[in-house]
Amino acid sequence: MTTAAITRPWSLAGVPASAWAFGIRIWVAIVVALAAAFWLELEVPSSAALTVAILALPTRGQALDKAVYRSIATLIGVTASVAIIAIFSQARDLLLAALAGWIGLCVYAAGLMDGTRAYAAVLSGYTVALVAIQQLDTPEHVFESGVARGAAIAIGIVAITVVNDVFAAPDSHPQLAARLAALHGRVRDYAKAAFQNAARDTAAAAGLLRDVAALHPDLTSLAGESSTGAVRGAAARSTAVALVAAVSAARALKALPPAADLAAASRELARRDGEVCDGLAALSAGTRPQRAWRTPLYRSQRIAAAAGIRAAAWLALAAVFFVLAGWPTADAALSTVAVVIGLGATTPNPNGFTVIAFVTAPIAAALAGTLEFLVLDGVNEFPLLALALAPFVIGTAVLMTRPNPSLASLGRLSLVFMIVIFAPNNPPAYDPQSFLFTSLFVGVSTALLLAAQMLVPTESNERRQRWLLASARRDFERVLSRRDRSLAPEEAMFRDATRIAQIPVGAASPRDGAVLAEALSYFDRAAAIRLARARETVS
Amino acid sequence: MHSFSELIIGDVFVAPFVGYALTALVIILALRPILRLCRFDKLFSHPAVAELSLYVTILGLLTVAF
Repeated sequence: MTTAAITRPWSLAGVPASAWAFGIRIWVAIVVALAAAFWLELEVPSSAALTVAILALPTRGQALDKAVYRSIATLIGVTASVAIIAIFSQARDLLLAALAGWIGLCVYAAGLMDGTRAYAAVLSGYTVALVAIQQLDTPEHVFESGVARGAAIAIGIVAITVVNDVFAAPDSHPQLAARLAALHGRVRDYAKAAFQNAARDTAAAAGLLRDVAALHPDLTSLAGESSTGAVRGAAARSTAVALVAAVSAARALKALPPAADLAAASRELARRDGEVCDGLAALSAGTRPQRAWRTPLYRSQRIAAAAGIRAAAWLALAAVFFVLAGWPTADAALSTVAVVIGLGATTPNPNGFTVIAFVTAPIAAALAGTLEFLVLDGVNEFPLLALALAPFVIGTAVLMTRPNPSLASLGRLSLVFMIVIFAPNNPPAYDPQSFLFTSLFVGVSTALLLAAQMLVPTESNERRQRWLLASARRDFERVLSRRDRSLAPEEAMFRDATRIAQIPVGAASPRDGAVLAEALSYFDRAAAIRLARARETVS
Repeated sequence: MHSFSELIIGDVFVAPFVGYALTALVIILALRPILRLCRFDKLFSHPAVAELSLYVTILGLLTVAF
């Protein structure tokens, strides 16, 4: 065994240099986007800065992938806005009902996808809230508003892409390769460990499958990164599929009684290990892998539909409240509700996300107020605006890179809300009344959404487990009756692994352990049957 | 005087630059397999900057030529 000296990465104030570099990149991109938007005299320059804040991701591949989907989703959203306004502009209540229905549909679509695709689905939803609802009283301007928003988003995308390229933002593939290699080590350890007790073995296998499946969104975001992105993406996908197959082979080996002939099962495990090594080598060299496997994703229609209906209900409740209250700027508040519903739908725990949004709203208002009325306080020069933005943007961006997911969400939402409340414009307004209104409505919207989510709660973990197990059982019956022929055995294993990854498990309770054990037993048996059938067809 | 070709989609005038930018993007995407074959990312220390420069060059050529 060899040992390597561990060099500690350079850090300042306990934050690694890469996080500072990320913060500075985001700040430069926001300044470039604002400068371009002011120069082009766009109607809503703050949208360009907001786009940069939303696309603030640490690697080039992720940011580009999100940018492409953001453009497509904006196009869909603006088209839907024009259609909804054209049909319902005379009837406010019907329009709000149509909006709730559209948001519900988009959240349902997001539930069937993951990563940036899910984000694009919810973005198509809340673009309608931003474009159509804010033009409720002037429906004839919906097209201009859509075009203005589209232009600002395009500026934001170009700014972050150019800044990421010029400032040498790290590529995604080395990080992904490192994570796959670490998982490879863990799979080898798992295979080497003698059969422990059944409960610990189940938890270890489920943990491995969960961590491989969690890479799925990153596997699809490599393609746009560089000229070798497409082949590296194929290599990363094959590696992930081979890792799942290796876990399955290790489990098959462990399940054999000691008296059985272990040679065939050991050969299978070694073959899978070789496939993982091939995939990793192809990923780092940027060459095509020997086997090109797809990474199909399992998504429950039932869970997605339930989430969609619930999102529509939350928005409808908030809309009813605002209609009854009759406040003058309710349209902006309703848009915020739609945005928080949408962004929350792409996280595993929408309620937790709303709580973070609720906590973030006053923090972001305080930050925006300090920036607007204490730091800038009436200045008109762009360089001063750029300098004043630096500590706020870099600080929140550094917070985004923290490993704690709650702190990271807090950082991201603070930056987004701060730009929404501050709304940089040319010439700057410095209007305390509009600042107070916007801050108040961001706070009220998140509080209202929290109340709506208490009235219409998300389904319990037990029910979700039941649904996922029922679907695993149905799929296993399809395997038995030879009705699943569309996927290669390894691809089908990966799909099953993404289902196991979605089974919610809390603190190790005996019930959760039993659910995981049942799901893994379907996984093992289905994999064994599919592989045996594939061998039959070959021989 | 160089005149730019107008881009009109459904009676909506679109700035000619948008057409050039999109065409350049399509060209660079089409070139990617060729760039991979000639090991473009091994030729430069910062392939991302090189690719961006290639995009700007194509965009400039399109603007001058059409």
